[in-house]
Amino acid sequence: MIAASVAGVAVAVYLTFVHFAAVQLVCNASGAINCERVLTSAYADIAGTAVPTSAAGIVWFAVAGVLAFLRRRRALQAWSVLGLLTVLYLVFVEIVQLGAICVWCTAAHALVLVIFLLTVTVPEPAT
Amino acid sequence: MARKNPQAKPVAAKSRPPMRKPVRHTPSWVAPIATLAGLAVIIVAFLAYRYFTTPPPVPPANEATTAQVIATITSLPASEFDQVGQGSAKKVLKKVTDQPLKDASGKPLVFYFGAEFCPYCAAERWPLIIALSRFGTFSGLATSTSSSTDVFANTRTFTFRSATYTSDVIAFQSVEASDRDGNGLQSPSAAQQALITKYDQGDTIPFLDIGNGYVLLQPSYMPDAIRGMSWSQIATALGNPESPQAQAIIGSANQLTAAICTLTSNQPATVCTAPIQAIEGKL
Repeated sequence: MIAASVAGVAVAVYLTFVHFAAVQLVCNASGAINCERVLTSAYADIAGTAVPTSAAGIVWFAVAGVLAFLRRRRALQAWSVLGLLTVLYLVFVEIVQLGAICVWCTAAHALVLVIFLLTVTVPEPAT
Repeated sequence: MARKNPQAKPVAAKSRPPMRKPVRHTPSWVAPIATLAGLAVIIVAFLAYRYFTTPPPVPPANEATTAQVIATITSLPASEFDQVGQGSAKKVLKKVTDQPLKDASGKPLVFYFGAEFCPYCAAERWPLIIALSRFGTFSGLATSTSSSTDVFANTRTFTFRSATYTSDVIAFQSVEASDRDGNGLQSPSAAQQALITKYDQGDTIPFLDIGNGYVLLQPSYMPDAIRGMSWSQIATALGNPESPQAQAIIGSANQLTAAICTLTSNQPATVCTAPIQAIEGKL
């Protein structure tokens, strides 16, 4: 879980960098899977703010890593449920609103799912 | 001999704990499988929702409407351009320093690279056609719409796929890489690809090279400004300099005009007027 959290922070940091770098709204000439389309859309910022959604991902993964390190299983389970619900919303936006998939965003979503699955499958250590 | 207590309960040889039914634990694979199955169902639901809510394609305008719209937008009065100025157009032209880009006849060359599916290209073609029409004449322009499945679905626009352009002062070349369904359409020549490779490393569209003096790598206004409007409605709105469409499209056209005027030594004078030259200084 800690490794997944660290990987998630790295991906979210990269997405945040791309968000600020790809400030222009453009199409990709191939019209295929398109991170720029997703990261420069109106949904790339947390509603009502100029904070990138990926920055919230950095926070989420960091907190998940801390909870995993402290072995706060119940808190991590609740946190990962929140993360999974957020991922479902973001996937909805990609598929329904934008019609574009960002591969790096999907990688971050997969890491959230991995952390969630680990919290529901890995047995609690014997005390 | 001692007598047995008839009320004494028989004692088992060994005391045994009470029997319990074995507790069946849920196998550990059930939760993750159930989670993945649930997510798969949800994602399929998203895809189905998108499929059933995607608007149908909009057919191109008929010949008469197309001709009328093109006539309207290419004959806007000079006062309209002066009144709008830069309007609400974003400053997206990027100055470059390079050998002047010219066609075989020595005229400064404007090169456009886009695709019919692209909503941002759809937006940018309006001011581009208006600006170029101030220096020459188009023929073969046809109406089109951006992709039905993309953001800003069905944005009304034109396509350069069969268009030709004639002018005494500039040349124009265009490449529409894909049709509105994403199928391959036209390919850039080696020289055109060299421009794309040099100035548009991200292979993003729309891309515009104005004589190697300025390049455009993003639309100068959002397709939101013309969302849901027909070609005729957009053309009519351009007649009102205060309309959001005029502010965006004519403002963009003025920026493009100013960039082109820097290539033509501000000729023709009727186009490269003082207001346009003022915009040149702000590009």
